[in-house]
Amino acid sequence: MPDTEQAPTRHRPATADVVGTLVLAGVGVYATVAGLGYGFTGDDGRVGPGFLPVVTGAFIAGASLLELARMFLARSPAASSYMASVEHVEEDARAAIQQAHPDDERPAPGGRNAAGEELDTFGRTHSQRNWAVLQIFGILLVAILLIPVLGLLLSMSLMTFTIFVAVEGKRWLTALLATAGAFAFFYVFFAQILGIPLPTGMLGIV
Amino acid sequence: MIDNLLLGLETAVTPENLLFCLLGVVLGTIIGVLPGLGSATGVAILLPVTLTLDPISALIMLAGIYYGSQYGASTSSILISTPGDSSSVVLTLDGYQMARNGRAGAALAIAALSSFLAAILSLIGLIALAQPIARWALNFGPPENLAIIVLGLATIVSFAGENMLRGITMAAVGLLISMIGVASGFTTARFTFGSVNLLGGLEFVAVMIGIFAVGEVLHQIRRGGEHPIRARFRDLLVTREELGRSVAPALRGTGLGFVMGVLPGAGATLATFMSYGVEKQVSKFRHLIGKGAPEGVAGPEASNNAAANASFIPTLTLGIPGSGTTAVLLGAFIVFGLQPGPLLFEQQPDLVWGLLVSFFFGNLILLVLNLPLAPVFAQVLRIPYSYLYPMVLFIAVVGAFALGNNTFTIWVVFVAGLLGYFMKRFDFPAAPLVLGLVLGPLLERALVQTSALGGGSLLIIFERPLSAVLMVAALLALAAPFVSAVLRRYRRTNRSRIDT
Repeated sequence: MPDTEQAPTRHRPATADVVGTLVLAGVGVYATVAGLGYGFTGDDGRVGPGFLPVVTGAFIAGASLLELARMFLARSPAASSYMASVEHVEEDARAAIQQAHPDDERPAPGGRNAAGEELDTFGRTHSQRNWAVLQIFGILLVAILLIPVLGLLLSMSLMTFTIFVAVEGKRWLTALLATAGAFAFFYVFFAQILGIPLPTGMLGIV
Repeated sequence: MIDNLLLGLETAVTPENLLFCLLGVVLGTIIGVLPGLGSATGVAILLPVTLTLDPISALIMLAGIYYGSQYGASTSSILISTPGDSSSVVLTLDGYQMARNGRAGAALAIAALSSFLAAILSLIGLIALAQPIARWALNFGPPENLAIIVLGLATIVSFAGENMLRGITMAAVGLLISMIGVASGFTTARFTFGSVNLLGGLEFVAVMIGIFAVGEVLHQIRRGGEHPIRARFRDLLVTREELGRSVAPALRGTGLGFVMGVLPGAGATLATFMSYGVEKQVSKFRHLIGKGAPEGVAGPEASNNAAANASFIPTLTLGIPGSGTTAVLLGAFIVFGLQPGPLLFEQQPDLVWGLLVSFFFGNLILLVLNLPLAPVFAQVLRIPYSYLYPMVLFIAVVGAFALGNNTFTIWVVFVAGLLGYFMKRFDFPAAPLVLGLVLGPLLERALVQTSALGGGSLLIIFERPLSAVLMVAALLALAAPFVSAVLRRYRRTNRSRIDT
């Protein structure tokens, strides 16, 4: 039987992957330089406080550069690992499942919107999911910044309420009840049962 | 051994410890069922809750969450084809197919029975091996300690995921994070950027809460979710044929999982894939695997549980975590002022043996709970994730504060959460980072002591037989995947040449 397999084409890495790996390389270089400043070896030639930072930093920088090279030069995205030795297991199983259910196409869990985009169980499209993550990190950041003013429990309750309403589109009353329940539970558990002195902020309420 | 077991029994069967064991396994099962909340997340976010407990009760509960979540994770794999942990991925193959064929309950029951069988057999192995290994490790000097830490790092990065280079890099990043603050044995402050808060280093449980709870939970939002297939009580009845076909795969999976789990590294995922592969090779019904065969559920599920229990061997006897979750558990030991390792068996026998004996009770409770109540736990899948994750963020932040009684730990959680989210998004494995974080201080201490012993030279590590063997083993662990990749490529080229 003639070999019909063609040599795989080179894999084009995603920009985000390249940027992330470059950041890691930068961290490695910084750690190496800083480590040299801490002292690679002590006066007696023994391991100094900078030894491990230098070795680790150089390692991260080297490994990141190798990873970059792999991204651009490797013919397939797969790399060497023990998992590679069993990768055929999942492929074979998927093939068997496909054979058993030839018309198998799993429906989008939340259906599709008017534009035909797949929706998840939250009713969100792919881009809406990305935006939701960004919103949540933003809300969390603001809530942490508000701790010195509102106190820990009130800030976190405000965060929960905002996520329910702004990100998840819950009704005000539902969001308020769920937030009040969470507040009561965490207040009783952490402040009353565990007796942890939670910061009350400038308001000084709870 | 009998004396130790009796001592453990005395500790484990107090009403208080039994209650915390029950609480741990129930919480663990619920956490395991919920997609996006794996065992590591569960242990990390609930660790601060246990701070006021007696250490043994707290550790019994946290360990219960770990193995309880192994049972629970099978539910989400079978019913919604969404694994809670990477070690449950294989179960989404035949487990989910069984559910689609109307055998959801039977698949859940087979998973629970295989898990129980594997748990009990691997616990016997764990108890038999732990003490001798701990005694052997008592003779270790700094070079041997250094070599075993290097071996631990080498194995976890090589098992960590599909890309070993990324695994190694993440372990190194973990080491780097562990170096923040004043180094032990030195007076130099490192990577503190002038911040007083960083002088004492980062609270590593807070880093884990960030990576596992905040990072994982938000990543789950980005992935979306699935609707569960309904499992009914009456479906839980396993037919005699299904049961008969499950016994041998479960036993094979247990053996495989135990061997892989003993290795200091994340071997559970590989063990489940290997078990599935073995069943495809040796099972009498191999032609049915992939189409909803009990063999494809029993084998991998047993290997997963056996590996989880076996991973306590390196964690407890050597202080080297066997997986991401045992790394978080190791963090719990340290929070309670305990250092896992050979000395723990000498200094705290009641705690170690009490913990190990509690595993038997915990698994028994899990079997009793899971067999009849699996459909009840499955209802947890119906809790809308949109209500769940804000609560997880809430408890993560309040719990982080409780750890250090300062708001700085909350910032650590936030930054680690960002890191964890991007690691998940770009497929960087978390387990090596956590292991690097936990092992960093131990590695540095062993390095300094070894260098002092060798008069400034680290080559002493190759002059002592045991440390030299361990270092060679570490090199082999790192080199083996590359060698096998080259061999596979060579074989493939050869085959295509023969074909033409």
